[in-house]
Amino acid sequence: MTDLSTITFGTNTDPYNKAAERGWDITDASQLTSSLELEADVVIVGTGAGGGTAAETLSKAGLSVVLLEAGPLKTSSEFDMQERAAYRDLYQEGTGRGTKDGGMVILQGRSVGGSTTVNWTTSFRTPPETLKFWAEHMGVSGCSVEEMAPYFEHMEGRLNIHEWPQDPNNNNAMLQRAAEKLGYPWATIRRNVRGCLNLGYCGLGCPVDAKQSMLVTTIPGALDNEAKLVHRARVVRILRDGDVVAGVEAEALTSDVRGATGQRITVRATRTILAGGAINTPAILLRSDVPDPHGRIGKRTFLHPTTLTMAIYDELIDPYYGAPQSIYSDHFQWQNVNTGPVGFKLEVPPLQPAFAAGFYGAAGEQITQSMDKLNHTQCMIALMRDGFHEESQGGAVEINDKGQPILDYPINGYLLEGVRRAFNIMLEMQFATGAKSARPAHKQAKHYMSWNEAKAAVAELDVAAHKSTIGSAHVMGGCPMGNDPKKSVTNVDGKFHHLDNLYIMDGSLFPTSIGANPQLSIYGLAYKLSTALLAHFQA
Amino acid sequence: MQTDRRDFLKLSMAGAAALSTMSAGATLSGCTSSGPASGMKLLRPEDVELLRALTPAVMKGKVAPGDAAAIDRTLQSFDTLLVDLSEPVVAGVHQAFDVLSFGLTRGLTTGQWSAWSKASLEDAESALARLRDSSIGLLNAIYSAVIRLIISAWYLIPENAATTGYPGPPKKVVGKVPAAAPVEEVAP
Repeated sequence: MTDLSTITFGTNTDPYNKAAERGWDITDASQLTSSLELEADVVIVGTGAGGGTAAETLSKAGLSVVLLEAGPLKTSSEFDMQERAAYRDLYQEGTGRGTKDGGMVILQGRSVGGSTTVNWTTSFRTPPETLKFWAEHMGVSGCSVEEMAPYFEHMEGRLNIHEWPQDPNNNNAMLQRAAEKLGYPWATIRRNVRGCLNLGYCGLGCPVDAKQSMLVTTIPGALDNEAKLVHRARVVRILRDGDVVAGVEAEALTSDVRGATGQRITVRATRTILAGGAINTPAILLRSDVPDPHGRIGKRTFLHPTTLTMAIYDELIDPYYGAPQSIYSDHFQWQNVNTGPVGFKLEVPPLQPAFAAGFYGAAGEQITQSMDKLNHTQCMIALMRDGFHEESQGGAVEINDKGQPILDYPINGYLLEGVRRAFNIMLEMQFATGAKSARPAHKQAKHYMSWNEAKAAVAELDVAAHKSTIGSAHVMGGCPMGNDPKKSVTNVDGKFHHLDNLYIMDGSLFPTSIGANPQLSIYGLAYKLSTALLAHFQA
Repeated sequence: MQTDRRDFLKLSMAGAAALSTMSAGATLSGCTSSGPASGMKLLRPEDVELLRALTPAVMKGKVAPGDAAAIDRTLQSFDTLLVDLSEPVVAGVHQAFDVLSFGLTRGLTTGQWSAWSKASLEDAESALARLRDSSIGLLNAIYSAVIRLIISAWYLIPENAATTGYPGPPKKVVGKVPAAAPVEEVAP
């Protein structure tokens, strides 16, 4: 690609520049000097894929909605495509979030728009195999391919989701070329963008508001419908009136959202919707000490544990530029559904330097010499589909003595077999397309010069949890929906089984991982559930 | 495979228990200083000493052992990075540094029996290799965390990021109309 650092463009796309003109009611909780009390028909906790979608649906029907967001309101006027500010302002724990034993790094968004503000725009409907598995094994009714279709269709229209029409960047093109060489089916990814400039900075906040994230679509939509947005407000617990949930209590955070100011926000509402994502939603329930007779809250939390290989080519790859994800292969994803070894999806990630540098698990010249060739580097990722096989029960969200969430997700032998297999498959793909050297994300590995050398070395590697680089950008489950209260936390309308007026509408509802990047699965489900909730109000 | 895994987990648990006890011991016996080092927000004096020794090993080829200015810039960036993380993450990093900083656990886990200020580049490299190759998962995790933070701190400095061949991001100009491709006119 051309050197994008020479390109300039303006900053006049930010819809929040006209917030006053449009009469938007936005409160920065860090500036509160006294407690804030609000009343509404619905309070929604979280402004990501679930919360944003529900907010627009409910406010459009005339309900009064209050949206609470723990992260800050950061908009395109401030998105400067620099890694440090983006990781600090837009991610949970400044990208430092990890699993309890340090085995996996977790990337999750934390600003208005949630993870949709920083995701890579990849949009898949929930795979039919997953919906079928939920119906047959997880007690989920009403979510067949046909029943979900109108909800996906609506959200695809709302967010301009369409197949990426431009050429893939070289990082993605290499995945396509490798799949063709080895006879693996591949396809083009659909993206939620409008007027995308093909820059490659989706993960640092879209600088031109081309990404149709919640930040620039449903949240402005809800604000136009007179919803109130309070950001830098972290929900501590839900409020109860016996068996009925009556709203939530939140604490105002400081401007850097790293501490609390001491001010409280109380929102009393007829209905409470939790949409804080699959770590924060179960954490709110655990902090609130709600009934959990079967001990399901926070259990079976899934991550699509993801590992990777890095290869160096003679040709320029410029893996930091261009639409981050445009090609994928599901060749290894659905060979079995819930039997046999773990399936995985093959994709590529964008490689801005500090982000990429964390992938290798290497130090010394192993890392510095690899990074010297970042512009010639291609990276493959394998996202493992956890939660289907009986040996894949996922992790558990817990809270520590300060009420902070921790995800305990030990990586077991079932997943480690998938890691070793993925190393082999991806290394072979890279050498098949002319890689001069390639290395798996393993601390004791190095750059191998041929497929034969790599294959022999991977066979000898100690593929243990802490010796391999494994991470996640997809947190799912922990509050599964289902008809059987012994195995689920909510019913299939997202209503909490054990208290009234409490709903969940985010990725924590998924009974397994999705087996694809989850944003559209969340949009579709949240649109379905919020539409159903509306019927309760109108009844 | 099953047996191997169980053994590994047992070892890892035993290692974790021993290390957290020793880390608590280091704190209780007053080895940990309370406040940040001068000019730092979160890095403590002993962290600075540790990182001065480890940075040239982790960033070999980019930061020479005698290059105090480059090491200081990396440490400043590291300190800012810590501020940008969360309180639980910082607590975990401090705990890991406690294990690596003080007498007995420093010696047992890294083979570095004298103070980090006396460590050579080779000593630091050998310490990192021990953590990396240990059969105790917790030590591998500490290795990951420490090198990842040092490497990120270094590459988060824009002029260092440029050494990868990365030309940097496009420039935004306040007030200018998006000229590369007006948003409304790009289909679809």
